[in-house]
Amino acid sequence: MKILIRTDKLSKYYGKGSEIKAVDELDLEVYEGETFGLLGPNGAGKTTTVRLLNCIIKPTSGTATVNGHDILKEETDVKRVTGLLAESPGLYEKLSAHEFLEFMGALYDVPSDVLPERIDDLLKLFSLYDRRDYLLEGYSRGMKQKILIAAALIHDPPILFLDEPTSMLDPRAALMVKDLIKGLADRAGKTIFICSHILPVVEELCDRIGIINQGRLIALGTIDEIITQTKTKTLEEAFIAITGGVEEKELLAWREQKGAGA
Amino acid sequence: MPVPKWLVVARNEYRIHTSSIRKIRKYFPFLTIGLLVVYVLFIAPAVVSLFIDDFLVFIISVAAVPMVQIILFMFFFYLMLFPISDTLREVKTEQLEIFLASPVKPSDVLLGEFLGKMPFYTIAITVITGTFTALLNPLGLDVVQNAIIIIVFVITFLSAIWIGTVIAAILRTKLGKSVRGKDVGRALSVIIVLPMIAVMYAIIGGGLIEALIDPTTSGTVRTFLGMLPSSWGAEIFVGLASNPNNISAFGLETLTRFGSLIAFFVAVLWLGAKAANRAYSLESTTFTASKAKPDGLFYKTVKYLGGGGSSGTLLASIFKDYGRRLENLSWIAYVVGLIAMLSIFLSDPFSSPRDPLVILSLMAIPLLTGFVVGTVSRGKETLFLYRKSPNGVGRFVKARLLQGWLVAVPIAAAIMAVSTILVPQVTLFSLLINTIWGSIRTMASVAFLLGLALLIPVFAEESRERTLGIIINLQVILFTTIGLEIGFSRFGLSFRRLLPNLEPFTGLLLDHLLQTAIISLVGIVLFYLGKRKLSRIE
Repeated sequence: MKILIRTDKLSKYYGKGSEIKAVDELDLEVYEGETFGLLGPNGAGKTTTVRLLNCIIKPTSGTATVNGHDILKEETDVKRVTGLLAESPGLYEKLSAHEFLEFMGALYDVPSDVLPERIDDLLKLFSLYDRRDYLLEGYSRGMKQKILIAAALIHDPPILFLDEPTSMLDPRAALMVKDLIKGLADRAGKTIFICSHILPVVEELCDRIGIINQGRLIALGTIDEIITQTKTKTLEEAFIAITGGVEEKELLAWREQKGAGA
Repeated sequence: MPVPKWLVVARNEYRIHTSSIRKIRKYFPFLTIGLLVVYVLFIAPAVVSLFIDDFLVFIISVAAVPMVQIILFMFFFYLMLFPISDTLREVKTEQLEIFLASPVKPSDVLLGEFLGKMPFYTIAITVITGTFTALLNPLGLDVVQNAIIIIVFVITFLSAIWIGTVIAAILRTKLGKSVRGKDVGRALSVIIVLPMIAVMYAIIGGGLIEALIDPTTSGTVRTFLGMLPSSWGAEIFVGLASNPNNISAFGLETLTRFGSLIAFFVAVLWLGAKAANRAYSLESTTFTASKAKPDGLFYKTVKYLGGGGSSGTLLASIFKDYGRRLENLSWIAYVVGLIAMLSIFLSDPFSSPRDPLVILSLMAIPLLTGFVVGTVSRGKETLFLYRKSPNGVGRFVKARLLQGWLVAVPIAAAIMAVSTILVPQVTLFSLLINTIWGSIRTMASVAFLLGLALLIPVFAEESRERTLGIIINLQVILFTTIGLEIGFSRFGLSFRRLLPNLEPFTGLLLDHLLQTAIISLVGIVLFYLGKRKLSRIE
């Protein structure tokens, strides 16, 4: 199977003496057509990994290839073959949905004879065609998320990076996005790299997952493999077993302190 | 062939800035060009004709070069400051990720952002240049001379805007990655205009122009001004204006300065493009999170002054939230800076003990209190915390009032005391009276403005909207204060008028105490109405 994303000791350190290891010697392979999930608690290094793989920031050491392009030497090529839904993305709120997608299409050099039709198709797909001329400032969070996913798809890239794709969505919109991701993987053959800490989403969508904590990849495989490795019953239990959690008895300890009651 | 990326970014930028006039966007350029043509051909000549005789005398005088230097420097500085100040007010880096993830060079983004805003800057450049060319029209300059002057103005102002755009982009990247950085940005956006005000004050009352004309005093400032590209432009302007139809009289000098100006423009363009990689980056610069120290003597005193217990804790919490925002402190610095410049540059602003009383009550105290208590809370979420807790709103507004007093009164008292000390041969009695009076007036002003802020609350996080709310409230108190002053002096409400034998300073003091009582009374009413509004707000 063709490897589309390969990282080789990919590292990103911050601070004096590189004491903060946002990503630490990450070795990872993602195959063509696969939906890969990168799981981890907040601050584990998921977003940094995505930014490194999209050439938004540069690694401290190590490297990676995306669709065969080196992230250090072929930035522009990497950017052309990837679509990114960022975790806290910036929308131009003073643009309409149509204007925003037109702008994004132009940034990615989508041919002008193809772009209008593609924008209309994406807006119809996300049921936003009737609101295409409304400014984005008036959109709900879910609608904005749909526009951002549409923007990530505007140049029809073979690889999609989705950083917390359903975190801001209501159940109906989340279901729609999940169905879309499945469709993109199954019918359009896209390779999808999802970052999330919402376990059911990852469980439902991903063929394989990696668990990252404090910058290090600490588990890799299918969900069943990880559950088996950790001798647990669910992905949630496996995740807690791998990343650590608070002991149940400690949770209400504060109530036993003197005068804690109102 | 794909559209150049800088053009894509510029078009996007233009769309963003014209989103409020989307319906007439197509016609906007034609409308603007039409209006500018009317201005340049008709309005500007009509306006300058009012003082053209004075100008013609001025342009051949020794004051011409320094005056035009200063005017061009101020335009240069202002145009450079505009993009910086605009960016610092609301530092936003969210869109950076869009650009950095796409195949676009940072220099294209920078150029695109610059060109996208250019139509609006062009309006300012055309108005300024149009006014200056209208001034020169009666001198009968030839076409070449006129063309040189127009090019000089355009290049000078474009350089300023480009420098401002580059600095703004770098600052946005440096400051936008942390909440603290954004706060620093807002604080800078407030105090960054102070040097500009200083120059204005120095021209109005500080004898700057006179000093520049005088060869014995102008050395350093003149050398400094001479190094600025705006000054090269000023010298070309005055040189050509003093020699109409005779370009050879000023040939080599004009050519040298003109060449230097073009070289400067090319250099800043090149340096800006080089700096673009620094200006567009999401690399983290700091991981140092702000950390609160345990309460020291100051906050313990605040808690005590707040009545101790939960009320004291509430007051201290409000104090901390206020004091840890640099933006709030910068507004105080701004007001203090204004008063300081007033004292430094305006000749003898305080010549008698009554002057600080009048000048500071009309301007400094309302300004200071407006910025201290002008924002009720940042976001409705904080307000709902109080709404949820027992008697929360009442305790909140009382704590805000007390906090406003504790911040504004000592500063106002200090400003009043220092201003009074500047009065020649001031007595200790006057100093004490003025300081006490300043404190009382500030307390009344705080109640008035806090009441207004509660009554018309602005909950926006955006600095621009909050500042607008504060300015509206300031207009109310300024009109009230000036109205009272006029009412007392013109319509016989004054103690000085009713009791002619009263010593003038005592009469003034009594007038101001009565005014303060009126402001306090209105303040109390506004305060209670505002509190009620806050309790009912949905």
